[in-house]
Amino acid sequence: MAPAPVAVSPLIKFGRYSALLLGIAYGSRHHKTLQKKEDVILARKEKMKAEEEKKKAAAQESKSEGSIFD
Amino acid sequence: MAKAAQKLVGLGTRLGTSLVTQGPKVAGEAVQWSRPRLSKFWYYARVELTPPMPSDIPAISNGFSKIIASARTGKFMNLTVKQESWVNTLICAEVAFWFFIGEQIGRRSFIGYNIKSDYEPASYI
Repeated sequence: MAPAPVAVSPLIKFGRYSALLLGIAYGSRHHKTLQKKEDVILARKEKMKAEEEKKKAAAQESKSEGSIFD
Repeated sequence: MAKAAQKLVGLGTRLGTSLVTQGPKVAGEAVQWSRPRLSKFWYYARVELTPPMPSDIPAISNGFSKIIASARTGKFMNLTVKQESWVNTLICAEVAFWFFIGEQIGRRSFIGYNIKSDYEPASYI
């Protein structure tokens, strides 16, 4: 017959499942923190890009405003 | 071109008919194959993998106090290396592995954190 199942000590079971829950909590919390940091960086990049676009559009405008041959 | 299309259509019809005729049989065979293995899994899991119940709390606190007492009195230095210390080390390692599996579940990825960003890794193709 197959070897009998071992009666695992409750302390070990408690340790295992609490480690599992702690790991899940830590994983999701760390992911959230990293995502927040990345969102700040992305927002700053978007702002920079928007400002550059505005400056480029303003430069285009001023360049094609009037020529000396008119 | 037309010949390739014909071959594709033939392949499609053959797949479709084989799915309809053999599908239930293959599914039944898979269930048959997995049944003894599942029963073996449950035979062990029902005893070894159950989460701790509130009725285990006295045993848990007993175990904790035993560990603390043996650390305080220095009794842990009398453990044998092969039978007890090595086995205890492996048990601690297993508990640590459960933590890392939990972290993988929490971050929803096996290898590393998938953060949404505009970073494009270098592609060498």
